[in-house]
Amino acid sequence: MKKIINKPIAETFGWLHAGGTAVDLPEEPEKIRYVLAPGETRTVVLEDSVPYTEIRAELSEGASLHFIEVKSPDGPEKTYADIHAVCGKDAHFCWTRLLFDGRETCDNCSAELAGEGSSFTADIGYRLSSDHIYDVNCEAIHTGKRTESRILSSGVLADEADKLLRGTIDFRNGCAGAVGSESEEVLLLSENIRNRSVPVILCDEEDVVGNHGASIGRPDEELLYYMESRGLSEEEAVELLAAAKLAAVVNRIPDEKIREEIREKYL
Amino acid sequence: MSEHFLKIKELSAGVDGKEILHKIDLAVNAGETHVIMGPNGAGKSSLAGVLMGNPNYEVTGGTLEFKGEALDALSVNERAKRGIFLSFQNPVEVPGISLENFARSTLESRTGEKIRIWNFRKEVQKALDALEMDRSYAERDLNVGFSGGEKKKAEVLQMLLLKPSLAILDETDSGLDVDAVRTVSRGVREFQKDKEAALIIITHNAAILSSLKVDKVHILVDGRIVTSGGPELIEKIGREGFSEFEEKKA
Amino acid sequence: MSAEKTYVEDVNREFYDFRYEEHAGYKVASGLTEEIIRQISAEKKDPDWMLEFRLKSLEVFNRLKMPLWGPSIEGLNMDNIVTYVRPDTERMHASWDEVPADIKDTFERLGIPKSERESLAGVGAQYDSELVYHNVKKEVAEQGVVYTDIESALRGPYGEVIREHFMKLVPPEDHKFAALHGAVWSGGSFVYVPPGVSVEIPLQSYFRLNAPGAGQFEHTLIIVDEGADLHFIEGCSAPKYNVANLHAGCVELFVGKNAKLRYSTIENWSKNMYNLNTKRARVEEGGKIEWVSGSFGSHVSYLYPMSILAGEGAQCEFTGVTFAGAGQNLDTGCKIVHSAPKTTSHVNTRSISKSGGVSTFRSAVVVGAKAAGSKSSVSCESLILDKESRSDTIPAMDVRTNLADVGHEAKIGRISDEAVYYLMSRGLSEEDAKALIVSGFAENVSRELPLEYAVEMNNLIRIEMKGAIG
Repeated sequence: MKKIINKPIAETFGWLHAGGTAVDLPEEPEKIRYVLAPGETRTVVLEDSVPYTEIRAELSEGASLHFIEVKSPDGPEKTYADIHAVCGKDAHFCWTRLLFDGRETCDNCSAELAGEGSSFTADIGYRLSSDHIYDVNCEAIHTGKRTESRILSSGVLADEADKLLRGTIDFRNGCAGAVGSESEEVLLLSENIRNRSVPVILCDEEDVVGNHGASIGRPDEELLYYMESRGLSEEEAVELLAAAKLAAVVNRIPDEKIREEIREKYL
Repeated sequence: MSEHFLKIKELSAGVDGKEILHKIDLAVNAGETHVIMGPNGAGKSSLAGVLMGNPNYEVTGGTLEFKGEALDALSVNERAKRGIFLSFQNPVEVPGISLENFARSTLESRTGEKIRIWNFRKEVQKALDALEMDRSYAERDLNVGFSGGEKKKAEVLQMLLLKPSLAILDETDSGLDVDAVRTVSRGVREFQKDKEAALIIITHNAAILSSLKVDKVHILVDGRIVTSGGPELIEKIGREGFSEFEEKKA
Repeated sequence: MSAEKTYVEDVNREFYDFRYEEHAGYKVASGLTEEIIRQISAEKKDPDWMLEFRLKSLEVFNRLKMPLWGPSIEGLNMDNIVTYVRPDTERMHASWDEVPADIKDTFERLGIPKSERESLAGVGAQYDSELVYHNVKKEVAEQGVVYTDIESALRGPYGEVIREHFMKLVPPEDHKFAALHGAVWSGGSFVYVPPGVSVEIPLQSYFRLNAPGAGQFEHTLIIVDEGADLHFIEGCSAPKYNVANLHAGCVELFVGKNAKLRYSTIENWSKNMYNLNTKRARVEEGGKIEWVSGSFGSHVSYLYPMSILAGEGAQCEFTGVTFAGAGQNLDTGCKIVHSAPKTTSHVNTRSISKSGGVSTFRSAVVVGAKAAGSKSSVSCESLILDKESRSDTIPAMDVRTNLADVGHEAKIGRISDEAVYYLMSRGLSEEDAKALIVSGFAENVSRELPLEYAVEMNNLIRIEMKGAIG
């Protein structure tokens, strides 16, 4: 049975059909649970190998979990991941999502920043071609004081690729001193792509700062001229820029060994 | 090398149907350094853009030849592959691509050969040291968040790495402090050692020229070369400015 | 997929402002019957096609569901809405002296038509469901500009033109309140500016809702023909009663080839008003629509003026400010559909929430497959003034061509303590300092308004800011 699992907290106009993509999935997800002790630091790399994964993480005081999820062209055609993390005081949760294409991918990732000073980073990189679909809903729920969130995404759409990104920063009452930012860059390489972005900021607290910025389009002409003046053809320049979108996400992985492994395998 | 390394004859060009350059004649030989001076809005940057093939400019008359080949039909990157290099007045930010990766990609594209990362890194470091830039700049996205001076230095750095046969420096000295001008001109002197390459320096300021060998100076006013001469012209401009030439055309 | 890809290109498609899912527990208003519709139509001396249109709209109204995604409109009990209220006066007046004294007094206190004498090309005033006054300056009328009440125009020489355009941009199927409008609409203005005519000074229309528990459903239809230029100003207000009032007006703007229309609104409905207004413009080749919108009043608002950039090079500029105070839930923004090459849109909005007010910025920018070379930039900033208030930003972008540049920026925050401190160090009270900062924040709109309106808007801000402290 088809169902939409990654509904956002606040919805936009109905006629944009941005409420999520209905996917056909097994009844029961494969469940993974991470419980991090105070101060514990862990990095996990998961390559999408089953269609439906449910991940729950609890981070105690000062814990840090870096969850790197990679969709490779060799994995299942359609995958769905539902990720939810709860952060205690000063805990940090980071979700790095890398999509090296893939037929249909739906993600739901939310982090509840309950503990004072806790933080969440979502770093999403994707490159889609053909008629492939990526539908992602990412939520930072600020309940604790002085919490911080960043939702970053950079991607490339070619052919008839279709991407829908819903990002929500939700400042709940009481999260005084919280800071949230969202930034999105999408490089469009074909006339037949579709890109939908719904960057939401909900604010029920006075003492917060929220920002959002998005830039969607083809490569800047002045930039192409500059690159071509150094001898690159237009195709080479565009390819370099496209590769840079994913490389930028990979480069932000702090663990050098993992970073190099991913670079080696996919870039 | 052959005579007529770069030969510009009766070149006219403009933007959006408005002519900016009128019948420019200029011949540069290998091993020479030419300086183009002129007041703001004279068309100096337009000339650089036309040489590089900036699509914003339209050539409306005359001919452009480089090493015996007409440039008109060549795209920007083909001109670059033939050895033309332009140091931009306002270098563009290239997000996501580090200075080192960018320079390596452009060099590989030009030679068609893979370059060994480690060897190249050493070369980049050497060039960074020579230009008194911190080595960390190699890893930074090209021009992103660079100060005005750092951007200009990064242009000279690319020139040294790419080893073009004709380099055009468009106001590379503007916005630099005294120390930076000295560093940049040291880099330019390094480039001048290549006797098979030529250099065109566009400037309205004599400071960068004081320590460089200059063969010819051209004064560009309102899209026309009004006077050409030797290095003595630089001193004259330094003393008197461009007013004499501006009156001349009026 | 392929069927979906083209649907936004088509103007007459249903742009569902309102959700179509079942709203449990809500029954269709019994206040609205075929009987009432026929009665309205007879009183209006509608042409036959209009009666049919009204009845068809009623049917659509009964079929469509209530919106679910926006602010709650549960306080709006349709059973209590007297959909048609006609003030106890004769119909149109061309001379201000003939307008009954109490209505005249109301408008004069609102500055109408004093401002007309000074700076307007023409004025229309609607009181509850009827236009009570309409006048156009002689020089303007001589240029062939038509500015009249839409009901009499419907029966006059422009009847066919109106029939061709009436609710074609906003069809009754669009959403429940568009259907309601189609069924019970009453009053409003018709403006026609002939090709090449530039109306140098603005035309103004003023709406006043006076009767308690009433609805106002005026229809504004403006056609700016090829190469023509018009600035139209709309002002709205109502006194406060204890029962809910409903405003479900409809504005349809047709901007011809190379024509320009600026549509300015300062809305200050009373705080019991449900403002469910629908505004839409279609812009042809080389034309331009400029929206200037200030939303200060009403209890609940759903307001997203939409621009359909239908011709090559068509442009849209949207400048808005929304101020939500105590008891207000204002959901405002805009929608832009780029459906032709080289179209551009610029959106710049500010919203302010105070004393428990809720303000939501909601937008949609759609760049269709045929909109190669188009550019869009949206910038919205929100200011939240205290812990009780709420401010949400829900923008959406849907891009279906790579040959476009779409940018978006949003910021949310509070007044900087340092700025308040700085102003207080120069002798301002804390209250005045904050009012000054908020006025500056809303400057994107005030600088686009004619001076007397900018002054009025800043007065509104000052009134809203009063008592902000302690």
